[in-house]
Amino acid sequence: MIEDDFYRASSQYRLWSYTETSLQSIRSATNQIASDRVRAALRRAREQHLSSTTSAAVESQSEGATEEKNIECLTPDEELVLVRYYCEKTVELGETYRPPLPTNVRATAIQYLRRFYLTNSPMTYHPKSIMACALFVATKTDNHYMSLRQFAEGIPGDTTPEDVIAPEFLLMQGLRFTFDVRHPFRGLEGGVMELSAIAQGQGAAAPHLPHHTSDSLKRGILSLAPPPIACASVHDRIGRAHSATRELLKSAAQMTDAYFLYTPSQIWLAALLVADRPLAEFYLDTKLGGPLDSTNVGADASSHLQNPLYELRTKLSKVLMDCAALLQSYTPLSSDPAQMKSLKRIAKKLYHCQNPEKVNLKRDVAAPRLNPAVDSATPMSESETERLVKKRKTESQQIQQEGHSVFGPELVPDRTKH
Amino acid sequence: MASKNGIDRQDEDEVCPVCKSSRYLNPNMRFLINPECYHKMCESCVDRIFSSGPASCPVAGCRKTLRKNRFRQQTFEDIGVEREVDIRRRVMHILNRREEEFDSKRAYDDFLEQREEIIANLVCRTDVAKTEAQLQAYAQENMQSIKANQLLEEQEATSFQKKILMEQEEARLRQQMAREEYENERREQQATREDFLTRLASGSAVDAAALAREGNKVHLKKSSARRSEEERIRQKQAALRGSEGKRTGTPLTTADTAGAVAGAGFIKGLRKIKTPEPEKPYDPFMGLVPGKRDYYTQLESYPYAFLDKLRADTTVQAGGYALQEYYSRTLLEAFAGLGCFVQEEVAERDATSALGLSKPASTAGAAMAAVGEKAA
Repeated sequence: MIEDDFYRASSQYRLWSYTETSLQSIRSATNQIASDRVRAALRRAREQHLSSTTSAAVESQSEGATEEKNIECLTPDEELVLVRYYCEKTVELGETYRPPLPTNVRATAIQYLRRFYLTNSPMTYHPKSIMACALFVATKTDNHYMSLRQFAEGIPGDTTPEDVIAPEFLLMQGLRFTFDVRHPFRGLEGGVMELSAIAQGQGAAAPHLPHHTSDSLKRGILSLAPPPIACASVHDRIGRAHSATRELLKSAAQMTDAYFLYTPSQIWLAALLVADRPLAEFYLDTKLGGPLDSTNVGADASSHLQNPLYELRTKLSKVLMDCAALLQSYTPLSSDPAQMKSLKRIAKKLYHCQNPEKVNLKRDVAAPRLNPAVDSATPMSESETERLVKKRKTESQQIQQEGHSVFGPELVPDRTKH
Repeated sequence: MASKNGIDRQDEDEVCPVCKSSRYLNPNMRFLINPECYHKMCESCVDRIFSSGPASCPVAGCRKTLRKNRFRQQTFEDIGVEREVDIRRRVMHILNRREEEFDSKRAYDDFLEQREEIIANLVCRTDVAKTEAQLQAYAQENMQSIKANQLLEEQEATSFQKKILMEQEEARLRQQMAREEYENERREQQATREDFLTRLASGSAVDAAALAREGNKVHLKKSSARRSEEERIRQKQAALRGSEGKRTGTPLTTADTAGAVAGAGFIKGLRKIKTPEPEKPYDPFMGLVPGKRDYYTQLESYPYAFLDKLRADTTVQAGGYALQEYYSRTLLEAFAGLGCFVQEEVAERDATSALGLSKPASTAGAAMAAVGEKAA
């Protein structure tokens, strides 16, 4: 199908599509590295503290070693909950602006956050600082211009513009410099547009199913099984399904891993499936043929022969069911007291295992920005940036040493000095 | 004996075998032959017998019907040679394949041999009927290629003629130039010598050395003129070589287009003619139909309240906003990737990339970091 090839060309498909297992393994690897890093950083901080205060370092050394094991880091699941909480916070933050930021911008920001925290851990970079930056970058990439000052003023609390853009480069690295996020919103509009055309008797047959006429399509949509909530007319029904689907896409699709696991087109159809099942099934049938009932098993062989898209249709309906289940599994954190409680616990835990070397992003970010030797094809995980910094440091030391070597100082001292 | 023979023939030549009148009586007498039977007769006999249309040959025992317009003057003294040359010309006219048309040199040689055989058959009158039939069939089948090759031959002949003429003209010019130059030189030399002598006669002894030097200069000038002449000859030769190369470089043009397949039965080893495929119109999308979609058919307009507002809004329309664009974009996004099964496809992709170049980049980075950590 041509449309699928269009999607296969996108960076979302090429770089940001995962299987469930690969998603898990990436998250656990990130978590593993980050926790190691946090432990090392905390130990260093403590040593520094001890050596600067007292001479009783020797006896507390052993104590420190035992204490170090007690540092409890977040688990991948806890990290995920935390990220999701801040995704919800992003939506709220978008609401605070007058006028509120468009859904697209907020959704893009959320996806940026989710993508960023695939290769980075909240223990290293606190989501609170990344969140605002992600939203700001999203206003830029989604063509919703806002000046930085205006943006910073809209954030509750005393956030300066510098605070907002401090992690900007870091975020972009984490996004592998791919800013294109394919959302299901516009696709939903297209689908609703077509459904209402069908309801008015103006529907056109899909290219692979030319036997449909606008009349037969209209008859089909009128004779559908009634929706879960009774509606006065077909238009009402479509409108209701539309708004329900949209709500689902705004919340559940954003807060779950749907974007990593499914394509936008599958996501909106799955959401429609949740909102109004018969309508969604009917719509799929007009596109790919069907219906796939267990009742007409006898006619199955013949319909199989008739419809070359049969295989695609069965496969798709399974994927859509999975996706719908994923969407339905979502419940907002704020509405669930139990989840809020666990979130508080996680937040407390994070307070203890936050990497102390990465807290002040404003100071830190200045350094990596000067070292932009980044391969955009590979995600710059935190470990890698640090490795680069370290490598560069040793190189510069080497150069300095060579300055005092037998062959004299370097040849172009002026350029390096200034 | 030889001398006697020669006299005999001379005598024979002088007397018309039909009317027995001799050249002795009529010094303007001309003898003609007809390639049908090659019997010789005088011009007045031809006029007399064949003026009123075709008639049979007056020589006793020959029953060939002759026409006046075919009579011509004999080129060779020996009638046998005359006849062979005629036959050869006719056969060569029909079997005029060119070397470029054959697969290999060997095939061309075979063709030449075949042609010689045919000529020999006709000359020696063995299998005449069969050979003639073959020849006719071939001529009919390959009318076009024969004509094309004839045309080519003609062109070649005329161009060759032209070239010869040009070369002759150039040679003439060159000679003339050389002559003129030589003349000029001589005149100049004479003038300088005279000048030299008069100056010597009028000037003092001190000038003599300077004057002698000037004389040398003249010699130098002459030699440089000669050198430039040589240069010109060299250039001309190079040009000739170039034109030759060009001539050999342009075979297989018009003759090629004729149907050689028909002649393949008779002449073997003919090159297969590749009629170049008609060039297809340029397709910038490489076979992709720009508007083609698999999941939906786009309508002219959609009944959608939200869009009706836009359609009515002049501020929107003024900018050239086309709702068609919106339709196509939304519908494309509605279905782009519907058939992409990320779970399967990405797993497959990961598998291939793990086998090949690199592991998923993030895990690679993690591994590197882990190593660095241990080293630290």
